[in-house]
Amino acid sequence: MYPTKYHKPASIADAVAALNGGDEAMLLSGGQTLLATMKQHLAAPSDLVDIRGIAGLSGISANGNELTIGATTTHAEVAGNVDVRRLCPALADLASGIGDTAVRNMGTIGGSIANNDPAADYPAGLLALNATIVTNTREISADDFFEGLFATALDEGEIITAVRVPAPSKAAYAKFAQPASLFALVGVFVADSGSGVRVAVTGAGEDGVFRHAGLEAALTGSMGDASIDAVDISDGNLISDIHGASDYRAHLISVMAKRAVLSL
Amino acid sequence: MDLTGEYRIAAPREVVWAALNDAEVLKACIPGCTELVKTSDTTMEAKVALKIGPVKAKFSGAVELQDIEAPQSYTIQGEGNGGVAGFAKGSADVLLTEDGEETILAFSSHAKVGGKLAQIGSRLINSTAKKLANKFFDSFHAQFNDEVPPD
Repeated sequence: MYPTKYHKPASIADAVAALNGGDEAMLLSGGQTLLATMKQHLAAPSDLVDIRGIAGLSGISANGNELTIGATTTHAEVAGNVDVRRLCPALADLASGIGDTAVRNMGTIGGSIANNDPAADYPAGLLALNATIVTNTREISADDFFEGLFATALDEGEIITAVRVPAPSKAAYAKFAQPASLFALVGVFVADSGSGVRVAVTGAGEDGVFRHAGLEAALTGSMGDASIDAVDISDGNLISDIHGASDYRAHLISVMAKRAVLSL
Repeated sequence: MDLTGEYRIAAPREVVWAALNDAEVLKACIPGCTELVKTSDTTMEAKVALKIGPVKAKFSGAVELQDIEAPQSYTIQGEGNGGVAGFAKGSADVLLTEDGEETILAFSSHAKVGGKLAQIGSRLINSTAKKLANKFFDSFHAQFNDEVPPD
């Protein structure tokens, strides 16, 4: 065993102080990745700063055509929220398909995107929906936020407080789940904002979530599954592992994109 | 897993070769390397702290240069023990080819991970190894171009 000091700050300022005060302090939100990693002794933070007690970090509000989702809002809350269902049902569907029931009731949107697992669902949704990530110090567009495998634009001691999502005119997410982990083997999120189409792919990229320029151009030209057939989906920079080779994943991108488009 | 790559470096082959044999340069380029001490002309002791997502593992181990054909090629081999996390082992064949005033560096590497890291991380080992290898050669490349290496 190793000692870990547990903090439960009541404000962002206290959380930042606790985070900067420890040798190797880490933020704890839903803990669905971090606690499992700690149990395996693959992470041993000196301090855990649990931000779930901070007022205002949890909950969902709608302002006109924009959703604001607090960082510690669980996947289950997003899946069942009436405003999310009304303004962006694709995001509610995405949240309802993350992991299993336990993960959905504990895991949080802020935790998921701060971890930026290359096969997580939320990064694809937020990137395609052109969301804004709000932290205690600034606002970051999703395009700038996700920086590759487990990497984000977050600085040391920076804490995500909320995510703002503009309602798309239509959007859909299709995921081919790895049956054991329930992570995306390939997930494709298609969002039509009314002024253009954005397509984000998770699970497949060597460097994490990415936007697919070819699919975006084809679907902006003509929204339909026939447009996807004409797009060359290269297997370069796609993951090859025991679950699937890169050409298999390239094929799945095309199939998932079609499923998403057909369910729009 | 196997990785290959090629870089063009704007420096003569002798200079690139010297850097490939300089412990300080290697230390600056190995991702997460906190300590690299020469124990002989061809062997070094290394300490590497890696952070990949939630996983933090500290490896300590030995680095050895083999099949040295100065100033053209060598094989750099490393083996590290990460305690409870498991072990990692890897080697890279590095080949330098002269091209006028510039040098083309080609590498082909092979890496293996075992223990707990491999068990729970199999989903991500390949991508991570590729990222680390690219980071090493990007940083090495940047040594000659006064560039800030990418994160």
